[in-house]
Amino acid sequence: MSTRVYITGVGVVSSLGLGKEEFYRSVAAGQSGISPVSSFDATNLGRLYAGEVKQFRARDHLTAVESRRMGRCSAMALAAARMAVGDAGIDASHLKGPRAAVVLGTTMGEADILEDLEGAWIQKGLRGVHRSLLPKYGSTLLPIHVARALGAQGMVLTLPAACAAGNYAIGFGADLIRSGRADVVVTGSTEIIQELQFSGFVRLAAMATERCQPFDLNRQGLIIGEGAGVVVLESEAHAVRRGARAQAEVGGYGMTCDGYHITRPHPEAVGSIEAMRQAITRSGITPADVDFINAHGTGTKANDQAESKVIHDIFGDRRIPISSMKSMLGHCMGAASAVEAIGCVMTIEKGIYPPTIGYETPDPECDMDVVANVARTGKGEIVLNNSLAFGGYNAVACFAKPDVLPPIAFRRALARDTAA
Amino acid sequence: MEPLPSPPRREPRVITGLGIVSPLGIGREAFEAALATPELLSNRPLSPVETFDATKLENPPIAEVRGFDPAKYLGDKGLRTLDRLTKLMVVAARLGLVDAGIKKDGAFVHSSPQRAGIVSSNAYGSLEAIVELDRVAKLEDARYINPAKFPNTVANSASGYVSIWESLQALNVAVSDGNCGGLDAFACADIYLDSERADVLAVGGAEAMSEALFLAFEKFGALSDKTRLSEGAAFAIVEPESHARARGARGLAHILGFGTAFIPPEDDSTLVHASSEALERAVRDALADAGVAPEEVDVVASSMLGVTLFDRSELRALSAVFPKDTCITAPKLVLGETLGAGGAMGVATALAWLGGVTPAPVVQGAAKAKTRIALVTAMGFYGNASALVLKRYES
Repeated sequence: MSTRVYITGVGVVSSLGLGKEEFYRSVAAGQSGISPVSSFDATNLGRLYAGEVKQFRARDHLTAVESRRMGRCSAMALAAARMAVGDAGIDASHLKGPRAAVVLGTTMGEADILEDLEGAWIQKGLRGVHRSLLPKYGSTLLPIHVARALGAQGMVLTLPAACAAGNYAIGFGADLIRSGRADVVVTGSTEIIQELQFSGFVRLAAMATERCQPFDLNRQGLIIGEGAGVVVLESEAHAVRRGARAQAEVGGYGMTCDGYHITRPHPEAVGSIEAMRQAITRSGITPADVDFINAHGTGTKANDQAESKVIHDIFGDRRIPISSMKSMLGHCMGAASAVEAIGCVMTIEKGIYPPTIGYETPDPECDMDVVANVARTGKGEIVLNNSLAFGGYNAVACFAKPDVLPPIAFRRALARDTAA
Repeated sequence: MEPLPSPPRREPRVITGLGIVSPLGIGREAFEAALATPELLSNRPLSPVETFDATKLENPPIAEVRGFDPAKYLGDKGLRTLDRLTKLMVVAARLGLVDAGIKKDGAFVHSSPQRAGIVSSNAYGSLEAIVELDRVAKLEDARYINPAKFPNTVANSASGYVSIWESLQALNVAVSDGNCGGLDAFACADIYLDSERADVLAVGGAEAMSEALFLAFEKFGALSDKTRLSEGAAFAIVEPESHARARGARGLAHILGFGTAFIPPEDDSTLVHASSEALERAVRDALADAGVAPEEVDVVASSMLGVTLFDRSELRALSAVFPKDTCITAPKLVLGETLGAGGAMGVATALAWLGGVTPAPVVQGAAKAKTRIALVTAMGFYGNASALVLKRYES
């Protein structure tokens, strides 16, 4: 058995706004969510900027008891999940019980809780550690908190896949539905900025000073960000039965692991090329059918060059429009590919290609049709969402306007043919 | 409680190898030999702690992989910046691939890097690495943290290193679902194999002992004489049956079915929760998925660990499903609590039983001389539970 899987609702917590309307407006306008970091003192580190979500207050979205139960990372995920559920117009009864699952991605999970625990232990000793705080730590808690709030009783799973976590989670969520193990899956990814991570990226010499400028000749590196992106996935039958409006279809997705280096991309980008090839063939299409690519585009020399290699390998001479939302949001790490997947849904719904802001000097090593500085309109029916993460974790997902992709049986046959 | 409608039949999965690094031994044969020696299983002395300075603690309830020497399996090069979690994981995966006959002398003899992957569970990441860097940041200056060790703070880093060391490039999925992750990894693997993303997957989990992890569990009051915090890694090599047959592989077991459920506490302010109801549903779904009746199960490798709240709840669920005389065991009383590796350790134990070792330690019922079907369970700390059904391999 296999079925089409639709995105019927989206929710987002980002430095460019809470909820899809504000998010879409800011992204389309090419606004920047990058600002001086306020949650800790970064003066010593020589880097001050991040895509921090400053307007999020857990109590606006959670009950008092819920706020006490969880850290900021879970709270953002739950807020985004509630927005997605509201956006899907799905009755609470559909989310309850064993046929509803929650799958979330992250890099560090409840990093603020760990920071509190560790800070107390390192500075005051074990007696300074609050016992009640201990069970609140663990990335396993993210989907537990969300499932509990929604009443979902199926699989609760965290996929920690670094910066590819959103695509991993959404892809697996769709797999769960296709395999017949769930009807509805609430899925996406979430991440918060935390001091240790910020310092780590500074020490890896990967961080830019004020701006993230993907594909620009003078790009300096990444700017880290945070947020949460959550979508409601439903099987075709379930969506039709309740009269849901499908915003997009989850097509095929590709996954590979470079197995090359823990932080550097493979110089020939073979794994990334294979992941993109799989995303295309598993969607039953050819590269010519793809309208737009949401790039991984971190703004580091190595990533953008490798990504350009992938695009040239797959698309040859065709200059396909490509853009990186990280120029506006920063790199939301574990949350990146889910927040950006919601950008892809916007592209599909509104035909808007978000811009890469701060794009000034083209880099001959990244010779592509970058959507520079101002959003562009286009067909935008079939979109690829790239995530080429730390650890050599590559995942490329295809999202499409509902019912534009060929039937499932055809996709499977094509994927088999091209694999052989 | 009616089980869920089962998903459509898939091609059977076969376990063709096991790699394990555990307090009871390293490698499948040593592990099985230890399980087959009852005197080893009872009253094992608590080992002197090797992973951190525990001189101030009196008989800490810890089970470690004693004298673990990764260089023996991996060579001397490239180990300096790897943390313990990574070393445990890489060694177990390597041993598994060799045991399955997929690899020999470091090279693939069957399948290929592009068609081989890993699904790995871990619950708490490398606390060792996070604490080490945070100490520098807090007590000295964040500018001095070691960038070569920073990658170890990322949750899926250890799994990423397995792909680097073992050339597993088809896919690399890290799973985190606390104590259930070690079984959930098998459910994920099943789905990934179903969509033909790989021919061979190393499936399992790992958890590493560290001072922070131990103190956290100790402070929470989760440990006792009976309940030791433990560590280790176990990876089963899983293939579709057709692939295993085509390459003439030796089978250790069939994976028949899986179930998982989450039922939180009703009291809003409670977080930690042992859900008997969730486990019962997970077990019933796994049996339905497997097409196996409760009476056909010869032994249950439960996740009972010596903590009354959880053990009672688990026994209640199992008693609701199985006849009174079904043999219910508690391998964790011997292996300790390995958290994210726990489910995979349960699978490793069940494989030994399917291979002829007599199940122990028994909590209820009596062990049969021969095990044909085993069920492995996992209970999470938050109302989550999972179950997996295995059958002795019959060609």
